[in-house]
Amino acid sequence: MATDTESGYAEGFGQVSRTVGTVFRYLLLAATMFGIVTLAVLLVYVANDAIQPLTADAGWHLTFFLTLVVPTTLVGGYLYRRNTDALKLGSTVVGMLAVAVLFSGGVAIVFVDIIPPLTGFSYAVGLVIPAALTVILTKYERQISFTPRVAATGAAFFLSLFGVPGYLHSIPELVQKAPVVPSDWVILALVLGGVAALVVGQYIARIREDATAGLIAGVAALVVTGLAALLGPLLGYDSNSFVVVTAVAVVPTATYAGGAALTRKRERIGLLLAGTVIVGSLVGAAAVDLLGFAGPQSWVNWQFLTNPHSSSAERAGLYPAIGGSILLMVTVAALSFPTGVGAAVYLEEYAPDNRFTRFIDVNISNLAGVPSVVYGLLGLGVFVTYLGQATGTVIIGGATLALLILPIVIISSREAIRAVPQDMRQASYGMGATRWQTVKNVVLPEAFPGILTGTILALGRAIGETAPLIMIGAPNVLFSLPTELTSKVSAMPLQVYAWSTLFASEDFYTKAVPAGVVVLLVVLLAMNSIAIVLRNKFESES
Amino acid sequence: MTGTEDPTNDEMLVQTDVSEGLSASESSPKRDAGTVISSNDINVWYGDDHALTDISMEIPENSVTAMIGPSGCGKSTFLRCINRMNDLIDVARVEGDLTLRGKNVYDNDVDPVALRRRVGMVFQKPNPFPKSIYENVIYGLKIQGIEGDYDEIVEKSLKRAALWDEVKDRLHESGLDLSGGQQQRLCIARAIAPDPEVLLMDEPASALDPVATSQIEDLVEELAEDYTVVIVTHNMQQAARISDKTAVFLTGGELVEFDDTQKIFENPESQRVEDYITGKFG
Repeated sequence: MATDTESGYAEGFGQVSRTVGTVFRYLLLAATMFGIVTLAVLLVYVANDAIQPLTADAGWHLTFFLTLVVPTTLVGGYLYRRNTDALKLGSTVVGMLAVAVLFSGGVAIVFVDIIPPLTGFSYAVGLVIPAALTVILTKYERQISFTPRVAATGAAFFLSLFGVPGYLHSIPELVQKAPVVPSDWVILALVLGGVAALVVGQYIARIREDATAGLIAGVAALVVTGLAALLGPLLGYDSNSFVVVTAVAVVPTATYAGGAALTRKRERIGLLLAGTVIVGSLVGAAAVDLLGFAGPQSWVNWQFLTNPHSSSAERAGLYPAIGGSILLMVTVAALSFPTGVGAAVYLEEYAPDNRFTRFIDVNISNLAGVPSVVYGLLGLGVFVTYLGQATGTVIIGGATLALLILPIVIISSREAIRAVPQDMRQASYGMGATRWQTVKNVVLPEAFPGILTGTILALGRAIGETAPLIMIGAPNVLFSLPTELTSKVSAMPLQVYAWSTLFASEDFYTKAVPAGVVVLLVVLLAMNSIAIVLRNKFESES
Repeated sequence: MTGTEDPTNDEMLVQTDVSEGLSASESSPKRDAGTVISSNDINVWYGDDHALTDISMEIPENSVTAMIGPSGCGKSTFLRCINRMNDLIDVARVEGDLTLRGKNVYDNDVDPVALRRRVGMVFQKPNPFPKSIYENVIYGLKIQGIEGDYDEIVEKSLKRAALWDEVKDRLHESGLDLSGGQQQRLCIARAIAPDPEVLLMDEPASALDPVATSQIEDLVEELAEDYTVVIVTHNMQQAARISDKTAVFLTGGELVEFDDTQKIFENPESQRVEDYITGKFG
């Protein structure tokens, strides 16, 4: 009897049908993958058109396969099994180098081609002097009250930058008219190398907890930058680009890698991966050169990056558009960051909870969804028609794009500010801090990484916008870099759009357009990767 | 169970070794120093919710006054009335008089920020800033514009908070790297660094383990030498051990009894208080 019951129970469990659930699960998976896979297919297609990897010799592929792909896979696989943190460190260094090299390209465009080094230098001097004065004044914060201090600082900046017309030369003028001026590469090495040395020195001093080590590292960074300037001509390149790449990309990456090697004993083996990638690329490049294998007939090449538009697709380049996009980004960031963060701080920390605030709340969310072409119309109406500015200039384009991303900056900054624990605000108020002191000392430092992440992602949206620029009359094609805020500007997406419509021909479709798309995407991904790294760092810290 | 071993505070050993609470007889001379805080018919509303009803009490100088009662009875709310932290809550409304050394803090000419500079506060959850230990301690000095030898003040405050020996070699590490008990003592050091007149503590030991709790209790007794301490606690034994005066709040936001701690715990006037203390209620 007992055994009967047992077996009866065992049979009684039966099977519950899960067919519907399984179908549902795979439908959801399909929905998830649909967008990603289609985009991936498109990207592969575009990248293939732009870079044309199949045009390279088989020997070229084989050489790089042996020198780069195989060692990297081996080292990466080893690290993946043994020590994932080390793998993370290694790939961070590689990624950092790549992004920093791209970034140095941007810096070179801005500080060599758009702003002549001497002009930039003169303004840097003009800014450093009053800034130093401000720092000195802060030391006497308690003796001198707020208003005269602010007035003195403001006056110092004004006099230094603008002088008194007719009576007193401004500092930039004085520097530019100096009888002996250093050559461009010396200025670049001093200014960029100086900034790099400052950052490197501070970083090393912090991780080694030793001011002398920081000083040595800083001086070393400056010396390396100077050496790069001398090395450039020997290898047949110009000094300026060598200086920029060294100061902006090589020195910071090397410092980060060196710092990791010193402090993170368990993970430093990951640097092996970075070394493999760098050495592998160099050896591969040298080998194909030596053996005479031809590389791919890529449309994304040095000429494409440095030439302006041309009526022949082979000679067409993206240079003025790249420079225009960079200038637009700088303008957009300068306009939207302070306004957006300011609005976010007001709404989160100061605004009372009343109807007016809720009305603003709802409207900011709505503004984030307004189509970009409407913002273009707004820019045209306000800046061109009403304020009488010329169409299609850097400042108009920047202001219009800034308006476009302002709601996004406000919303993401508010999220970041809201994420600061209420406990910390309470602690600050409990100590007798004013609202402003609490915002300045507690809320903003805590929220800053989040605010920065949101802003970079928003800038990523702005850099891809075409419609507002068309609306405000930005020229599709530009043959020289915009050099002032009031010069006409074009942008990468606009140039690509022009190639695909105005100059539509088989050649442009298959060559210039995919190459332009790839450059645009690489810049976008580099920006987003900075945002992602910042966010990860932020999340792991809190 | 207390018996502080901290060598930096020898002169206070005698006082703090009164371990089993009920130190009313010893603290009575201190109370002669006078009343610091006096509340008169304080009422608090959160929106339509009447959180405190007609609270009147006088808190004596240089002593520990404990507030006990079940959750939601309004003891924290009353504490936050003293330094006007309730002002930060949009829906909160306070009526009545609350004087600090004779000055009504709810007068129109009182700046709540200036008030909070005279009344330090320690919160339930340790909430150090994500800055270094050193920066945490001098935060109040910096924002209040107090001058002086910051190194010395940091050392003194951390010693008073019985934390100096544990952190003196890592003052420039983040305050968040400390353990919960250490963080709470850091918050106490931060609160006393600008030398306030009154120290408010909102269940300062409720998030801590027994060892850390007893350290905080020792500390509170020591601090009462120089400061007027008002402490909110859930823990009746804690109130009995460390306080000179005890206020019992019961549900509905009323102050049922306020008297010497010894009297409250041994011979309370109200039956409800006796029920609460003996565990029959609440």
